[in-house]
Amino acid sequence: MTTQTKAEAKTSGMPEGEELRRQIQQRKNRGQIWFSLFQLSLIIAIIALIILLSNIINQTFGLSAVENKIDPESLVQAAFEKTIVGRTDTTTSEDDATLSQSIAANPNAIGFLGYAYYREKADALRVLAVENVEPTEETVTDNSYPLSRPLFVYTSQETLKEKPQAAEFLNYYLDTVDSVIGEVGYFPVDQATLDAARATLAAATAAGDSEGEDNPIAISGSSTVYPLTAAIVESFQAAGYPGAITLESVGTKAGYAALCADRTADIANASRRMTRQEAAACSKNRRTPVEIQVGADALALVVSQENDWAQDLTLNEIQKLFTVAQNWSDVREGWPDEPIERFIPSLESGTLDFFVEKVYVDSYPLEEMPAASLKAMLLANISTGRARALEAQQPFDERNQAQMLELVRTEVVQPRVVASWNALPSLFNRSEIEARTLDDNPEAELHWKSWLSWEFLTSTQSSVPEYAGIRTAFLGTLWVMAIVILFSVPVGVGAAIYLEEYSKHGRINDILQTNIDNLAGVPSIIYGILGLTIFVRVLEPITSGKAFGLADPTTANGRTILAAGLTLGLLVLPIIIINAQEAIRAVPQAYREAGYGMGGTRWQVIRSHVLPSALPGILTGTILGISRAIGETAPVVVIGASTFITVDPNGPFSKFTVLPMQIFQWTTRPQPEFRHIAAAASIVLLILMFTLNGTAIYMRNRYSRK
Amino acid sequence: MTRQEQLIDTIPENPQAKSGDQAVITAENLNVYYGNFHAVRDVNLHIAPRKITAFIGPSGCGKSTVLRCFNRMNDLIPIARVKGEVRFEGRNIYDPNVDPVEVRRRIGMVFQKPNPFPKSIYDNIAWGARINGYRGNMDELVEESLRGAALWKEVKDKLKQNAYGLSGGQQQRLCIARAIATKPEIILMDEPCSALDPIATLAIEDLMKEMVEKYAIIIVTHNMQQAARVSDFTAFYNVDEGRTGELAEFGPTKQLFTKPRQKATEDYITGRFG
Repeated sequence: MTTQTKAEAKTSGMPEGEELRRQIQQRKNRGQIWFSLFQLSLIIAIIALIILLSNIINQTFGLSAVENKIDPESLVQAAFEKTIVGRTDTTTSEDDATLSQSIAANPNAIGFLGYAYYREKADALRVLAVENVEPTEETVTDNSYPLSRPLFVYTSQETLKEKPQAAEFLNYYLDTVDSVIGEVGYFPVDQATLDAARATLAAATAAGDSEGEDNPIAISGSSTVYPLTAAIVESFQAAGYPGAITLESVGTKAGYAALCADRTADIANASRRMTRQEAAACSKNRRTPVEIQVGADALALVVSQENDWAQDLTLNEIQKLFTVAQNWSDVREGWPDEPIERFIPSLESGTLDFFVEKVYVDSYPLEEMPAASLKAMLLANISTGRARALEAQQPFDERNQAQMLELVRTEVVQPRVVASWNALPSLFNRSEIEARTLDDNPEAELHWKSWLSWEFLTSTQSSVPEYAGIRTAFLGTLWVMAIVILFSVPVGVGAAIYLEEYSKHGRINDILQTNIDNLAGVPSIIYGILGLTIFVRVLEPITSGKAFGLADPTTANGRTILAAGLTLGLLVLPIIIINAQEAIRAVPQAYREAGYGMGGTRWQVIRSHVLPSALPGILTGTILGISRAIGETAPVVVIGASTFITVDPNGPFSKFTVLPMQIFQWTTRPQPEFRHIAAAASIVLLILMFTLNGTAIYMRNRYSRK
Repeated sequence: MTRQEQLIDTIPENPQAKSGDQAVITAENLNVYYGNFHAVRDVNLHIAPRKITAFIGPSGCGKSTVLRCFNRMNDLIPIARVKGEVRFEGRNIYDPNVDPVEVRRRIGMVFQKPNPFPKSIYDNIAWGARINGYRGNMDELVEESLRGAALWKEVKDKLKQNAYGLSGGQQQRLCIARAIATKPEIILMDEPCSALDPIATLAIEDLMKEMVEKYAIIIVTHNMQQAARVSDFTAFYNVDEGRTGELAEFGPTKQLFTKPRQKATEDYITGRFG
């Protein structure tokens, strides 16, 4: 009773004072809930978009393991060797003694030899410094002389355990090598390296089952290291080792294979380090390689003692000296104008390989080779038939360096992606990927690859994912869109003008309007079926171009750009009509009244006032429609776009494919690499749409500012 | 001094102001319907040439509707129907073989809100002349029209600029310039000053007084002072119980404001309703 009277006393029946504040707070809280819900919706939308985009980007970039059929380095190597040996003023010999003899006798001569052979004839020859470093024990050991290489013997932990006598031999090797190596003609390594090697050996040798004690020690590998090892074997046996030791000279690579893959050798001589791939092959065969450096070799560039000008050479000068230079004066200014006479080891020699690799291959990547060399590489590595076919497409001599390089890549090097990863694992799991690659594809190299590249945009469809591109699909999309625009914009805007400005508002108009609204929601596959029935089949004479005598002989049906454009045009027609209607309706009635009031006819008013004012809105609707059409796949599938086509579309009567179709087709392929290019194509599609929308926004702003 | 007396003092003497004197346009038994709604009943009216006629009355009395009948603007409203006759130069403009486009060229209109086209000042004026097949010098016509609307001095240096850069009063004068560019005989003004401030209103009123030497002007206004200040004749419309508008009283402005014949007129002009 009392509260009631109080409330009545408080004037108007509205809450006052404290209660009012509470009531306001309550209303605000209720609003806050809605605000939070709206915010949440926006966040969900943004997250969804980010996930979509990052997923595409994740798939577009990442590591890929590329395996070459032929290494580009070996192509370059072979090319230079051929050039060098092919010179008429170059004499080759397999006998190093002959070479040193010839060089010593001729003041204009130059050549290169193993350091041991130089020392044999040091009284008649003079060794040249390279990049101002003379080959001495010190510079060779610390690897500062550019033409030096370390010499190794390799074994495996497993061998050391199984065959204690191998460990015994290697320890003896380390103890005696320094006293023998000078005689053999190589350079010793410093004591620290030897000590480290002993430690490695000791660690690896630790107690094991010595089941193979009676077996011979098998040594294989490099011919360079062979004389050194042979000397030590001799001395080891002389020192009282009773067992048998076999020693072969088969080359470094074969030695590694014997050690790891075949497990026929216990020790492998090597004139170069084991590559990652070779090490991986070892591990895979349960052999853990153990590397022991026993010495170093140097290649000596020598001239006759009668030569009184040359003291040193830079790498660049050496490169010239054995290829393009004719006279000494071509190599360095101030040197005599005398012809250079070269005496070098023959093609069979590992020394020439080593020289070319050090001097040329490291500084000339395949990309920088001249077109003529590329042509030679190409002809040397493909069949005559293939060469003729390529020559017929375009004569080699008319192709520029870039084109020839491309040919060498695709025809000879033939890089193949053997495995690929997405961006995220590539960034965060790199070491694991590297390990997996070494295991699965030891020959392959890992590269960071962008599947979206200029080549991707400009090359045509291919069954090899790394060569496949979207050129055909992109052009197809542009063509189809041109037809869509030409068809649906005039028809759609015209219909909208009729409905808004001319037709009498009444029942028929309402029915029409309802139907148009409903058509905008019809599933696109139904438009596809409609397009197939009408444009592809019934109107085939027109859509295939037969009626105009323009039919593409390879197509011979109605599955053309024109049919697709008209189908997609029908699909977006309702969207364009509805948006144009909205835009026309939004034009202030005052403009029309003013126009009519000045004596304008209906068309004059529409043309001069309604359309210009509605144009921004019409454009927006048009772009919405076009964007939808660009992304449509289902109708294009139904009316039969080509799934594999490499010919550029050249008109409305061409067969074609479009971007979404291409993406769809790629995602259904089994090879995982197609997923990457599907993602890359999605990016292109998105960019195309963003560009279109951006243009529309720009145009809308421009027109509405006027 | 009562409010009515103040009002009457502002009314100019006009000895020639006599209703029915060689009318330029007449309405005879004019009835307008919007669908089933009878908006205006039986209007009979003679508009004198080179005079200003004001339509006043309370909201919804049909004064704008009648005005819009005079150049067939009501045709733009799909549900509007007009019965009766509007005679212009001896012809009924609702006759089937009269083209509304021609009517509108010769009877111009200025609307309540300034509604220039979103184009340049020049094009706003030139458009009407161009579509009506004007063959003379367009620059001269634009200048002449702008001078006629007392706007030339203000805009002569920015003819190529968008008309929406002008102030409201300038825009309305531009609309007047645009209307006179098609050389009409009558200009209909539908509350031309209702969206304008008092200074712009005065400018338009002065302009009307100059223009009346060439054209007949019919102005709809809610502002009785304005009607009293500028018009030679005044038509007072009223609504009946069925919300149908009708012409209650028509006569020389001085007479209507000093000696209204009807009680409703007197009540309205003294401010008792409306």
